[in-house]
Amino acid sequence: MGDAGYIVLLLAFAAAIYSAIAFALGGRGGHPALTESARNGLLAVFILVTLSVEVLVFALVTHDFSIEYVASYSSRDTSLPYLISGLWAGNAGSLLFWAWLLSLFAAVVTFQKRKSGHELLSYAATILMTTEAFFLILLLWVANPFRTMAFVHPDGMGLNPLLENPGMIIHPPALLAGYVGFAIPFAFAISALLTRRLGDEWIVAVRRWTLLTWLLLGAGNIIGAWWAYMELGWGGYWAWDPVENAGLMPWLVATAFLHSIMMQRRRGMLKVWNMVLIILTFSLAIFGTFLTRSGILSSVHTFSESGLGPLFLAFIGITLLGSLGLLYFRRKELKSEAEMESLVSRESTFLLNNLLLVGAAFAIFFGTIFPVISEAVRGVKITVGAPFFNQVNGPIFLAVILLTGLCALIGWRRASIKNLVRGFLWPLAAAVILGISLVISGLREWYALAAFCLSGFVLFSILYQWFREVKARHRIKAENYFKAFWDLLGVNKPRYGGYIVHLGILLLAIGIIGSSFYDVEKEAVLMQGESMSLNNYTLTYESTDQYDTQSKTVVSATLAVYNKGKLLGKLIPEKHFHRNHAQPLTEGATVTEVAIRSTLQEDLYVILISADKNGRAAFKVLVNPLVNWIWIGGGFLVLGGLIAFWPERQRQATPRQPAKKGNRDEH
Amino acid sequence: MSIKNNSGIALGIIFYLTVLSVSPVMAGSATVSDVSRELVCQCGCTMILSNCSHAECVPRDTMTTLIGQKLAQGEPPDEIIQYFVARYGEQVLASPPKQGFNLTAWLLPLAALLAGAGVIYAALKQWLWRGHSSPTAPMSPETNQEYQERLDKELTDFNESAFR
Repeated sequence: MGDAGYIVLLLAFAAAIYSAIAFALGGRGGHPALTESARNGLLAVFILVTLSVEVLVFALVTHDFSIEYVASYSSRDTSLPYLISGLWAGNAGSLLFWAWLLSLFAAVVTFQKRKSGHELLSYAATILMTTEAFFLILLLWVANPFRTMAFVHPDGMGLNPLLENPGMIIHPPALLAGYVGFAIPFAFAISALLTRRLGDEWIVAVRRWTLLTWLLLGAGNIIGAWWAYMELGWGGYWAWDPVENAGLMPWLVATAFLHSIMMQRRRGMLKVWNMVLIILTFSLAIFGTFLTRSGILSSVHTFSESGLGPLFLAFIGITLLGSLGLLYFRRKELKSEAEMESLVSRESTFLLNNLLLVGAAFAIFFGTIFPVISEAVRGVKITVGAPFFNQVNGPIFLAVILLTGLCALIGWRRASIKNLVRGFLWPLAAAVILGISLVISGLREWYALAAFCLSGFVLFSILYQWFREVKARHRIKAENYFKAFWDLLGVNKPRYGGYIVHLGILLLAIGIIGSSFYDVEKEAVLMQGESMSLNNYTLTYESTDQYDTQSKTVVSATLAVYNKGKLLGKLIPEKHFHRNHAQPLTEGATVTEVAIRSTLQEDLYVILISADKNGRAAFKVLVNPLVNWIWIGGGFLVLGGLIAFWPERQRQATPRQPAKKGNRDEH
Repeated sequence: MSIKNNSGIALGIIFYLTVLSVSPVMAGSATVSDVSRELVCQCGCTMILSNCSHAECVPRDTMTTLIGQKLAQGEPPDEIIQYFVARYGEQVLASPPKQGFNLTAWLLPLAALLAGAGVIYAALKQWLWRGHSSPTAPMSPETNQEYQERLDKELTDFNESAFR
């Protein structure tokens, strides 16, 4: 079966090369037949890569342990969903999944634009197929997922136990789709540079693709954070690990891109900058893929070190130098039509937002690679961890949050003082009241207080602005408030989708601020019947249980949880000792299954550190305030993104003056 | 650039540096957890010491026990951290110390932001100048009235539908 998969990949590679060349020649010479043939070639690539994915999934599901990848990432007791998710559990499989997603996206975009006769498409498809060919080279000659073994083991090593979590079925595909999807706007940008079609055409072609990709990457990051919180058992959701950073950086730059293309479409500004942003976004997406496979940085996510690093580095180098070089040669044709009337305008807030988002991405990038720089310069590979990233990015993100509210409320071109006062007076008053309430309730840390007040101000600003718009429609159209709200949402999905995304970011921020500043933790070793207390909670260790399943031994401890003396229920944290797994993510194969009592106010998070046969157990207990708001904010972000992405109804052109029946022909 | 602008930038830098200096406060009441957050577990997991969740991690247990003992003896957190640096090297620290070559890690992002702000300032200045100096023909009162009505209508439309 392995040979069949390999041959299919080989054919896909040949088809990708043919398609790339045929698209380039067809686009250059204007040969419709050649372009049609190239399109068929691209479809063939998609079908062949799909076939190879199916071969690998079939091998995983049927336990074909003659294939090294199957033996390494599955076993006979792995359940069906996790057998399928084994496709992206390892290096070669996830690369194959990358290549498949790219072929899928390329096929969709090519056939989506076929009827519109998109002239940018030919060169864009060339770039997409060249990228596809690069990944197929890696799969065929460096990380072959179909490599067979001389000796067939009776059972496989199994999936890494940490990956046996529902989050891991969604997180990697969403994240990888986010990375891969940026290839589409990148390809169209380069195509625009090559064909000298440097107007808004390429931006119109890719706006929704970029939005979808941004949404997938954002969702992937949030699901990853949720998985880390539930499964890694250290009490947090974001460790600023290099690979987490790799997922955040392109998302930040893409956020800047999504804002700045509005400036180009409305005002003809930032044409060069938009090119730079999309080139950076795609390069950072590839950088993320490179980080997990190069072994250059220590990370909990790293696949085993392979020979892929130098090839990825070369690909990133060629992409960056080639794109920026091309941009340099076309710079005069991208001259901005920009002019501005006032500093207090949406244009200014968007510029600042771009600066801060790209600045944050740069700070994260520099912090991520600083250990390598330090080793090269001083010979010391230092660690750059959470304290660094929190301190450097904290103020930047606070400023981003402020702009999140301001940019939606300040109009294009010029905002009058009267409008500003009208828009911000009530939210400001509400934020002041919030601040006073927080101080009265005992909050004293100025940094947290400022952050909460700022978030509150922006939250109230957006809600107040939305309310004013609903009220205006209610007044003009004589609709009830609910209908006015609903119709507004339908009439302008990008605007209100944007509002919801901004609200989601604020809820995320509130959750992050609360859980970062006010988390408390305590470790204790207890004998059965003993208790420990943290904040208002008292936990009494009642019993330990131990049982075997087919693949692991489970040790659990039962604790009764009381709040101010009132029994809330039981929490049962566990430790899983997997028998047949030996992957490098953790020592041996021990997985912590935490127990969480979750409310909107706070999470009580209990970790079983160890338990012995004498009835003694060690626990780590944390109280993490407001964590649930992070996931709720994530939900808002996805909902708002989907609304903004949703196709708009074709609007009927409304005549300036209603035509009368009798004189229609006169117009 | 005017004095007012320079003062604004200076204030911005001071604010940023002040915020940067807001590291976890570890006064006399520092806990094992406070100190652990500044160190990396030496078991190879690459995680912050207080976050290492391995079942039986000897380096974590050794380090946290030592921190607890030293805190109980009244040793200041900074000295405890220096003890670990002397023992394991700089890589035991969760973030680069703010001195020597490592300062570049802390200051380069700020420098990049300031450079970016400078570029934006120059661009805004040019665009504002262009916006104010673009020639406009004087309008007759009739034309003015027509455009005013059109503007009012578009502004009303904008309130309902325009965020592209």
